[in-house]
Amino acid sequence: MNYFTVDLLTPEKVVAKDIPAESLLIPTVRGQINILPHHTHLINRLSTGVLSIFGGADDPDRHFSVTYGICKVLEDKVIIMSHTSEEKSEISADRAEQALETAERRLNSGEALSDSEIEKFQRKAERARLRIQLSKQ
Amino acid sequence: MANIKDLKKKIKSTKGTLKITSAMKLVSAAKLAKAQQAITSSRPYANELETTIKTISALVENYTHEYLEEKNNNHEALLVISSNKGLCGGYNSSLAKEVRKYLAETDKDVKVYFIGKKVREIIQKEVNFGKNYLFEKADPTFLELEGVGKELAQLFESGEVGTVKVAYNQFNSAISFTPMVKQLLPVSLDVEEKQELEAKFPFDFKYEPEPSEILNTLIPETYSTTLYTCLLDGVAAEHGSRMAAMDNAVTNCKEAIRAQTLKMNKLRQAAITTELIEVVSGAESLNG
Repeated sequence: MNYFTVDLLTPEKVVAKDIPAESLLIPTVRGQINILPHHTHLINRLSTGVLSIFGGADDPDRHFSVTYGICKVLEDKVIIMSHTSEEKSEISADRAEQALETAERRLNSGEALSDSEIEKFQRKAERARLRIQLSKQ
Repeated sequence: MANIKDLKKKIKSTKGTLKITSAMKLVSAAKLAKAQQAITSSRPYANELETTIKTISALVENYTHEYLEEKNNNHEALLVISSNKGLCGGYNSSLAKEVRKYLAETDKDVKVYFIGKKVREIIQKEVNFGKNYLFEKADPTFLELEGVGKELAQLFESGEVGTVKVAYNQFNSAISFTPMVKQLLPVSLDVEEKQELEAKFPFDFKYEPEPSEILNTLIPETYSTTLYTCLLDGVAAEHGSRMAAMDNAVTNCKEAIRAQTLKMNKLRQAAITTELIEVVSGAESLNG
């Protein structure tokens, strides 16, 4: 099997480097794309979602959340640059569920919230939904 | 002439200072390690982003972006990144000196913005003061800093300023840093580098969405990343500088304690000798 490697970078840290993969699912602005070995050179914009790296027979599958950023496929190297990223093992589904519940309760409670507060809770809810989605992978 | 009691007091207080400075040195060393870690982990992202932008803009023809255009505008915004705390050697004063030198040399009308209060305290009165940015914690996160960056970019977009620059201390090693002024906007792309990249990539990429659209989002992104890298450099340089300063202070304290102890012992010896002579000569006079 032909492998290629994946790097996942954020401004704050190198989340993962040189992960071997035989197939890769990337959420992009025009929908999810599947990268296999010998893919054409490609630069795409990411959308918020779950990035899945399938390691094939020898390596484990790994799942990451990605947000705003781009991905670059160049020869046998895929580089993902995202604003933030977390791996499935780093997150707790229970906490995400709780966070989502709290955020939605505040948004739907009918209390007077300022614009920045509404934005804050919407973002919290969005982050929590992404984590829940990631934890189900 | 100091007496023994005074010297003892002085030694005790110097020992206290020694304890404080060595503790500060240890703390700075730990923080420096963390800051260095932050730099090393953000550098791959920054470098990769820069190469990607350069590659795309080299391969795509006739692309222009607001951030790439030189504007005919004599106003300039200068963001000074300094520390909130002192006791870090020449960290703030050399940055202030660099800013002063820059302001004296430039022919532009510069408005100065500040992160960190130390350099602001030194030069606020002599410059055209813009704004001071404060953050929840001592060091801003990427998102907070991006907000600052956006504010400055807004000034550039609206035509209020023609250039945006940042003044910070670049981190070289634990004991050395270089104060410098760097241009953020307009983003400049090297012509030579562009040709080199064109030669390196004879093929083009497949873009989704359009390359111009990707560049539109990437160029502001490099701008914030560059700014963030500058901040990380500044933070690491601060801790490095403080560590070096405290190391000097520890050496000086030890030296002072040694000198004072020596002086005290001499005085004590002299007092004992005098007493002995008195006793002996008293006994002699009784015998005689």
